[in-house]
Amino acid sequence: MNRKKDKGFESPRPFKLTHQVVCINNINFQRKSVIGYVELTIFPTVVNLNRIKLNSKQCRIYRVRVNELEAPFIYNDPTLEVCHHESKQRNLNYFSSAYTAAVSAVDPDAGHGELVIKVPSELWKQGDDLKVLKVYIEFSLDQPKGGLHFVVPDVEGSMAERGAHVFSFGYQNSTRFWFPCVDSYSELCTWKLEFTVDASMVAVSCGDLVETIYTHDMRKKTFHYVLPIPTAAPNISLAVGPFEILVDPYMHEVTHFCLPQLLPLLKHSMSYLHEIFEFYEEILTCRYPYSCFKTVFVDEAYVQVSSYASMSIFSTNLLHSAMIIDQTPQTRRCLAQALAQQFFGCFISRMSWADEWVLKGISGYIYGLYLKKTFGVNEYRHWIKGELDKIVDYELKMGGVLLHPTFSGGKEKDNPTPHLHFSIKHPHTLSWEYYKMFQCKAHLVMRLIENRISMEFMLQVFNKLLSLASTASSQKYQSHMWSQMLLSTHAFLKSISNVSGKDIGPLIKQWVDQSGVVKFFGSFAFNRKRNVLELEIRQDYTSSGTQKYVGPIKVTVQELDGSFNHTLQIEENSLKHDIPCHSKSRRNKKKKIPLMNGEEVDMDLSAMDADSPLLWIRIDPDMSILRKVEFEQADFMWQYQLRYERDVVAQEEAISALEKFPTPASRLALTDILEQEQCFYKVRMQACFCLARIANAMVSTWQGPPAMKSLFTRMFCCKSCPNIVKTNNFINFQSYFLQKTMPVAMALLRDVQNLCPKDVLNFILDLIKYNDNRKNKFSDNYYRAELIEALTNSLTPAISINNEVRTVDNLNADVRLILEEITRFLNMEKLLPSFRNTITVSCLRAIRQLQKNGHIPSDPSLFKSYAQYGHFVDVRIAALEALVDYTRVERSATELQWLLVMVQNDPAHYVRHKILGMLCKNPPFTKTTDSALCNEALVDQLWKLMNSGTSHDWRLRCDAVNLYYTLFGLTRPSCLPLPELGLVLNLKEKKAVLNPTIKPELGVSTVMDTPASIGIHGVGMSYTAVDEEPDPISLGVCGVGQPPQGLKRKAETPLGSPPEPGQILQQQDDDARGGRYKIRFNTMEDEDIDMETVHDSQAFIHHHLNLLERPSTPGKEPPSVEQTMLTMPSTPAPSFSKETTSLSSKHSSEHSHHHHHHHHEHKKKKKKHKHKHKHKHKHESKDKEKERERDNSHVYSNSPASGRSLRSPSLSD
Amino acid sequence: NITRAVMSCGQFRNSKAASSPAENYHLARRRTLQVAVSALLTECGFESAEKAAVETLTEMMQSYITEIGRCAKAYCEHTARSIPTLPDTVVALIEMGFNVDTLPVYAKRSQRMVITAPPVTNSPVTPKALSAGQKRTHPAHIPSHFPEFPDPHTYIKTPIEPVHNPFLRDVERALTRFMAKTGETQSLFKDDITAFPLIAARPSTIPYLSALLPSELELQTLEETDSSEQDDQTDSENTTGNIINDDPGADKENSMLPPSGGVPSTKASEDNVIDNPYLRPVKKPKVRRKK
Repeated sequence: MNRKKDKGFESPRPFKLTHQVVCINNINFQRKSVIGYVELTIFPTVVNLNRIKLNSKQCRIYRVRVNELEAPFIYNDPTLEVCHHESKQRNLNYFSSAYTAAVSAVDPDAGHGELVIKVPSELWKQGDDLKVLKVYIEFSLDQPKGGLHFVVPDVEGSMAERGAHVFSFGYQNSTRFWFPCVDSYSELCTWKLEFTVDASMVAVSCGDLVETIYTHDMRKKTFHYVLPIPTAAPNISLAVGPFEILVDPYMHEVTHFCLPQLLPLLKHSMSYLHEIFEFYEEILTCRYPYSCFKTVFVDEAYVQVSSYASMSIFSTNLLHSAMIIDQTPQTRRCLAQALAQQFFGCFISRMSWADEWVLKGISGYIYGLYLKKTFGVNEYRHWIKGELDKIVDYELKMGGVLLHPTFSGGKEKDNPTPHLHFSIKHPHTLSWEYYKMFQCKAHLVMRLIENRISMEFMLQVFNKLLSLASTASSQKYQSHMWSQMLLSTHAFLKSISNVSGKDIGPLIKQWVDQSGVVKFFGSFAFNRKRNVLELEIRQDYTSSGTQKYVGPIKVTVQELDGSFNHTLQIEENSLKHDIPCHSKSRRNKKKKIPLMNGEEVDMDLSAMDADSPLLWIRIDPDMSILRKVEFEQADFMWQYQLRYERDVVAQEEAISALEKFPTPASRLALTDILEQEQCFYKVRMQACFCLARIANAMVSTWQGPPAMKSLFTRMFCCKSCPNIVKTNNFINFQSYFLQKTMPVAMALLRDVQNLCPKDVLNFILDLIKYNDNRKNKFSDNYYRAELIEALTNSLTPAISINNEVRTVDNLNADVRLILEEITRFLNMEKLLPSFRNTITVSCLRAIRQLQKNGHIPSDPSLFKSYAQYGHFVDVRIAALEALVDYTRVERSATELQWLLVMVQNDPAHYVRHKILGMLCKNPPFTKTTDSALCNEALVDQLWKLMNSGTSHDWRLRCDAVNLYYTLFGLTRPSCLPLPELGLVLNLKEKKAVLNPTIKPELGVSTVMDTPASIGIHGVGMSYTAVDEEPDPISLGVCGVGQPPQGLKRKAETPLGSPPEPGQILQQQDDDARGGRYKIRFNTMEDEDIDMETVHDSQAFIHHHLNLLERPSTPGKEPPSVEQTMLTMPSTPAPSFSKETTSLSSKHSSEHSHHHHHHHHEHKKKKKKHKHKHKHKHKHESKDKEKERERDNSHVYSNSPASGRSLRSPSLSD
Repeated sequence: NITRAVMSCGQFRNSKAASSPAENYHLARRRTLQVAVSALLTECGFESAEKAAVETLTEMMQSYITEIGRCAKAYCEHTARSIPTLPDTVVALIEMGFNVDTLPVYAKRSQRMVITAPPVTNSPVTPKALSAGQKRTHPAHIPSHFPEFPDPHTYIKTPIEPVHNPFLRDVERALTRFMAKTGETQSLFKDDITAFPLIAARPSTIPYLSALLPSELELQTLEETDSSEQDDQTDSENTTGNIINDDPGADKENSMLPPSGGVPSTKASEDNVIDNPYLRPVKKPKVRRKK
């Protein structure tokens, strides 16, 4: 393992930061701008520190001074535009590696940064006495796109009256977006933070508020914060707004802030925070590390919860009144998460990105302990099972999640996760979903460690880590103790071994250093003669996302005589395990059966196999392996398990298994569970849905009233009038949740015609009709929303005759009733809005479902209006979800455009993120399907979006990458014409050193990370400004290496060339396709011999097969077979046309480029930037190498690119 | 001033308007009026007054009160009721050019004189109506000999057993249809845009407020359920709490405050003790001169 064995932390920087001052003098809400300065106190750790690299994005830097001396600086952000040239590459492999390279180039953990400050030479000669340097930077931000978010409602009044506010946000290290800093979790320093804001506003930030002072004009005030605990820059945050202030009544050092008018909600929502504090402090036997804590609730939050040193920023939508049931546990969970991260994540920071899993794991684990304590063991186990299922599903679908990646020697080839379309080397290149799963796996692994070493030791380890850190935090910088506040995987494991004396090496190797989960298949036979249970456990460890498990596994067998645990050893090649049984089959004796928990119950054993004493068997009941188990046992065993096993996880497993056994016995077992009030409510809720499915499977033999109806009537309806529901009383939450769920499940019932039974629909309509909440002390908004969902679930596709247009007149009578209700609900919501507009959300879903099922005309305009900025965020998301669905079903290019425009322009970051996420989940087309939507313009648009359009938001950029991947895959999008750098050139490249077409790219990549790009950002000042001026030109030219081709390609078509002989073949008009055709024939004649020789026949055949499978050309779908045949070859053709015709001009452009490139280099030498340059160069050439390889493989595998295709027309002819 | 003074007797006068007159009863009232006028004069700073002057002022006051009563009665009868209510009196006063808003402050003025109870006379016995609920005691500024408050149900919201209104849904539908007809709408059908009209979605500037804050109806429900719960539990603490709330400070006796209403004030007083940096006063800028 490459885990760092040395104890100390080695800074990648030639200096150590000890203190930083951040002073923001002015925040202008009107202009959305910020002005301020920072001052970093640093200690050089090398003799001649001549360069200081800091992180800064999108800040405009006015001046830099080092110890009062003006210092020149360079500001270059390679992530602004990942691939600089107008590349025709367009394949994701290329982008991902370029993006990773760009992020690496400014990675603070590697000592890099966007801002390079040249230390004035006067200060170099500090010689041996390494003196302190003070780096002073003045900066401003204008309309920041990331890092800080301004919310300025467009109403009358002063900013305070309008509720305008601003807050910092971001994913991982994003502090560089709003002030220059060392944006690393491992560079700790103390802080002084000053914010001057309007007198009507409050500035909330990290640390202790020392004082608040009016400015001289008394119109503003300055908030002075001091944070004496060494803290990493990414853990610094700010929120400014006209907040209402609530001092926690239980803990006076805790202050809560919310937007105007929400104080009553804040009071209620925060009333239990002290319990969470008490819980964590008690289990960790450690006081909360900061002297104060602040919670701020903001609108348009980036994520629901984000934790920073001594403060957390939450979404305002977590606030709720005492009337709301469903939101309460969710808000409590969010608070508990935030607080857990205060200890691990903020106070204790990570040493490197590879150690992130430890912090996320511990905070997630102690959060789990809180859940167990507050919501009970059932809820906790249910949650763990849910998390386990999530991670297992994700890894089996997408490939493994690796907690502790090691990058040996930084070689890209040793990519530990080749199955992913992004690099996991940096947090900023990760897909959001992967990161969520990463956190999920991290806390599950912590739980596994707990299973191994006991919770007591686990908590001791945490306590030890915290006490070490808190001792270190109170020390002066000079004591070199601060690195104790950084947690690494190694330190964590060492601490575990010290405390517990146990070796958890194998466990760590299995789950932390390796990705993948385990997939078990289990089955058994009972050997009556030997009275032995023959258990067979097989594994699938070849599929993606799986790994082999070797080690102990617990199996629990419930026999007639009791429950017995067995620990089996899973070994390389032993599949079968013999487990001796304790009891003989003797069920005739009336005897109570002892359960695992000591309880003794009477069971009706008539369903059992007379020869076997086995009631049920569970594999790994404690979930101590990250696994999926598919176990085969008889239906009656599942039924016994459901009825009598007391563990909720076992019950839930039994319910899922029973879906496969639609028998009256299963029905009875489920109904019994449903009625049993002692049973965990979430199990009962799950039983509802299973019962619905079973009922549907048994539809022809089903006896009695529709499933659940009589039960619901008995539980919630009037005795005298069974079709009228009692007035709502939600005082018993368990029955509330059941009351909400049952109608939703019932609506899924179908009769023999596959329609929702009439009496079920009427029943639901009656529930709505007689719903009466006036005596209830809780709001019924969620209940009503679920009733609408029930209506939605009852919908089935309309019977359509000849695709008639949907009109009011031919509306189905039942649907008319449903529509009446939805209309009324939606309109009432305008007059009396429900909490979080749950009703509107459900109505929008219902309307989309009505459209999709062909009851009403499919039309996006309603959703578009609800998706507009200015609606409540939940409503917007629901409307956008409907639009995404509409886009897919109707293949609407207009709506797709509309959505993509919103991704680029919407003020709410969360909404942008969600749109891309939803498009990935429900894509308009995928890489394996064909669609008219898939065209070059879309490729360009998405490329632009991820290349430069999302540079202000790491998360959004990764979302865009995900979407690109979903739509086009890793390789070149199939709808694009062939790349210029197709086969010929790559082959040539193999032979010749100088390849004319590769060259421009090389040049470009070289430029990518150099100061040259300053020209683009236009921010750089001081000495670079003058000298670098030519560079933009060179850059432009670099880019031009390709654009001319692009231009050519277009010009090629009707205008450029005279009629060619080949053109006669196709009577195409001014279509691009025609143009390409005509040149194709040219090409054939001019083409090099090279390609002919290289391609083997296999590629040829493969290509043709592919062509037949995917005959479509960009733009249109072939209407008929004949045309398909004709258009077939057009896909491969264009490249060659371009190749040949543009070859000469390419050469010339290449020349010009080359020239500039040299020029460029020259400049740099002069400026003594060699080291940097060299570095980039190496880097890029590596990339290039990869790129070429990829292109090669691409050529062989992806047939449209194959040169052979040239032959196809003649063949088909 | 006189008008105001007169007003403080207004309610008294009105409440007796319906009783049958008896000679000495009249005299007694006349005497009380005279005492009131004298008290007012004293309050205004007069040390003595001529009898004729007092007599005239009394006459004026009596006719003023009579006019209020007549006027209020007329308003009340105009709306097909027989007994004047407070709003009737208020309208009458406004009609007579009196600024009603100034009255509460005047009534609670500190230097007012307490007038002793009129000599007990055999007032005509009116049959007592069946009383319901606990009558409210007089606030400090109303003399105890004044008539009692009417039964609470006549002026305080009464928790009633909610009966399901079968027409509620029709009302709702009609209301929303009306809204839809009068405003901008969206339609689900292209052929008939009037079928299933939806009130157009209108973005709001601060969408989270309406989405998070409970609507007034919900608040009302909360109050009702809370109060009904109180009734159910006969929680003596809460009921006494409500009575205590009726101190002179609580002016709006017409609305029952939700129990939570009492919390903020106590919290606020707590907060004053708490040393929290956000509650500390903002400092004045330091030493300007030095700069």
